[in-house]
Amino acid sequence: MSAMFSQNPVMNGPNYSFSDAPRTNNGEFREHRFNPYSDNGGSTLAIAGADFCIMAGDTRHTSGYSINSRMAPKVFRIGGSNSDQSDATIALSVCGFAADGNALRDQLDTVCKIYRYRHGKPMSVHACAKRLSTILYNKRFFPYYTHAMLGGIDEEGKGAVYSYDPVGSYEREQCRAGGAAASLIMPFLDSNVNFKNQYVPGSGVGHELKERERHPLSRPVVETIVKDAFDGAVERHIEVGDNLQMMVITKDGIEEIMLPLKKD
Amino acid sequence: MTSIGTGYDLLNSIFSPDGRNFQVEYAVKAVENGGTSIGIRAKDGVVLAVEKIIGSKLLKPGANKRIATVDEHAGVVYSGMVPDGRHFVDRARDEAQSWRQTLKTPIPTSELASRMGSYLQAYTMYGSVRPFGITAIVGGVDGSGDEVIDGVVGSGPSTGAGGKVDGKHGGPFLYVIEPSGQYWGYYGAATGKGRQAAKAELEKLDLAAGNITLEQAVKEAAKIIYNAHKDNKDKDFELEMSWISGVDGPTGGRHMEVPQELKEEAERLARAEDESDDEEDEKKDEKMEE
Amino acid sequence: MDHRPQAWGRPRDDVYGAYDHSFMNTNSHPNQHTQQPLVTGTSVLAVKYKDGVVIAADNLGSYGSFARFTDVKRLHTFQDTSVVGFSGDISDMQYITRHLHQKSIEESYASSSANKKSRLSAANLHTYLSKMLYRRRSKMDPLWNHMLVVGFDDDEKPFVGSADLLGTTFTAPTLATGIGSMLAQPLLRTYAGTDEEAAERTKEEAIKVIQECMKVLFYRDARSQETYSLAVVSREGVEMKTSEKLENMSWAFADRIKGYGTQTV
Repeated sequence: MSAMFSQNPVMNGPNYSFSDAPRTNNGEFREHRFNPYSDNGGSTLAIAGADFCIMAGDTRHTSGYSINSRMAPKVFRIGGSNSDQSDATIALSVCGFAADGNALRDQLDTVCKIYRYRHGKPMSVHACAKRLSTILYNKRFFPYYTHAMLGGIDEEGKGAVYSYDPVGSYEREQCRAGGAAASLIMPFLDSNVNFKNQYVPGSGVGHELKERERHPLSRPVVETIVKDAFDGAVERHIEVGDNLQMMVITKDGIEEIMLPLKKD
Repeated sequence: MTSIGTGYDLLNSIFSPDGRNFQVEYAVKAVENGGTSIGIRAKDGVVLAVEKIIGSKLLKPGANKRIATVDEHAGVVYSGMVPDGRHFVDRARDEAQSWRQTLKTPIPTSELASRMGSYLQAYTMYGSVRPFGITAIVGGVDGSGDEVIDGVVGSGPSTGAGGKVDGKHGGPFLYVIEPSGQYWGYYGAATGKGRQAAKAELEKLDLAAGNITLEQAVKEAAKIIYNAHKDNKDKDFELEMSWISGVDGPTGGRHMEVPQELKEEAERLARAEDESDDEEDEKKDEKMEE
Repeated sequence: MDHRPQAWGRPRDDVYGAYDHSFMNTNSHPNQHTQQPLVTGTSVLAVKYKDGVVIAADNLGSYGSFARFTDVKRLHTFQDTSVVGFSGDISDMQYITRHLHQKSIEESYASSSANKKSRLSAANLHTYLSKMLYRRRSKMDPLWNHMLVVGFDDDEKPFVGSADLLGTTFTAPTLATGIGSMLAQPLLRTYAGTDEEAAERTKEEAIKVIQECMKVLFYRDARSQETYSLAVVSREGVEMKTSEKLENMSWAFADRIKGYGTQTV
């Protein structure tokens, strides 16, 4: 009450009794806020090869413990010349809050299409990757709640994978797992793609140890790794399952493969 | 046109000494050169029809519609300058939409006519504008006052206070709006080049008695347009017709094109009548020659 | 005496404090437009069958736990080709249906002929509605609904899609909103777990499973009612019934239920 008669209202802030927005005990405004985010589960995985790139994701769509749909793909072709995306050269995978994922996909697709119309050629993955970063960063203070990954063939003909955090920080990588089962799949990839903690037998001890030589994997090997990674994730994570969607990007375009996963 | 050269016809905002607005009268001339359009208020609905003059053989048959939907239950046809008519339709749609936005119910046809009348009138008062070169026929079927609220979720109490009163309002309505902004409600209306012949035919139908059904009205409308076209034979035309019935009628209270079969039947009858008229004329001619 | 005329006739600052304008300043308190649902509708159910879709929702508008309105139609036909079923806030539902109504009038400007098919398929409508919902959630002013859109997609195949207040979307051969996603969806998945299975089901089978699920929901959903609406969308159009009633309900099993609350015997 004493504040009501304060001589210096400007410093004390609002002090009329009728400005009574609800407050918590410690004087903060109590805000019953609408939560604009949710998590729709699922997992994604991308691996780059010498002249190809595989983007994969499961097709389960969840809310809490409920399965909303068993067929809701998370990997999308981007920047084709029309809506069926038959001539697209880049794939985007999004995992996390699916509504944001769709909005992000639509926005990036529009940008790539405009580029194609203006320049008469598809956007390079390198350019598209930078643009995706900008799109994400533009919503820095109300982020797209997604783990995005972009895959394609770079200007030298090599497979390229870019992975992002929700606010646009990004990096080109050999491989990356994203989403609910990322922490299950990533160590598997470290071992099987990047040969981490694998050394040449008898090469010495301590600093003398030689790492096993890394080399780009062949397509059948990568496909097998992807399938195994998801079979493992399905076993250990409730939000992953139903179907495995794989997009294989080569210089000839994008091939889509759909395989069954466990539905439990 | 004795007024030409007197200077009183150059501006909308100036009356002639004998109290006339010549700009409006010139606008009426534009209407009198347009293809004939008619409207019939039958006992259970409204029919609109227009003689669409085909200016070129390169135009796609059936395209370039002249009758426009304004709201679910209302349509407009006009004679005169087509671009002016298009703008009239745009404005009518805006009026219908804003009525719905505030009152959550379809605009009554009378209200639509009133608002469009006021709109056209405003184009007769300022030096910077010219009047509309059209006469529009506005047709609509109003609901009974119940169950026509947009987004309503229930049907309300079936009896007692708030209960329903059947047939209190509603039914078919027809209005004609002229370039001056003047509008009247009609049972039958005709405007454009062949209006005199068309009006004569409409009067014969005794529409005020309320005996003509919607389907009959469609057939009459086709005949009247074919008949009105006789004085304009050197030009090709297409008949365009739309209708609005009550909620329980064939269109379900909506303004839509007359279905293909019914339109073809109506045109067949209209042509048959045309030919028999011609034969009679020929016989008369022969007799006279005798 | 205060010699400044602008101070005359006002409460004295030294007695009452300076006038506080802050209540007019919108930054001094949080925006309060974010709402909560008031009158609400419960679950909506939908299943595909070989030639179309069946959708149902009861006719109750609840005010919290109070059964406030008992004649609320929650299924809305769009252009005689699609049906939208709403759960969640009833006033937002009315806002959306009015908006859709206006859209369909605008569609009829282009073509008013009776035999021409709607340009907007149910799949298109689903996309439109989900963008509308996503836009509003992004303004932190959501339309508090979860709805099912049913009809056909652009390839003329039966379509069932869901869109909620966050803009989340998905499609499946069978769908249910709200508590129906817990109680009815498992039953519906035994009817058709995949599109291939749904393509073998008849209209009668579809209606039957929906009726069974409505029954289960009426038994166990405290915000449900026994009168409901049921619509069948086929290539011939929409067949809408708004005053269906659940039949052959029996509470005989109830006296055998034990173990809830304070009941110990």
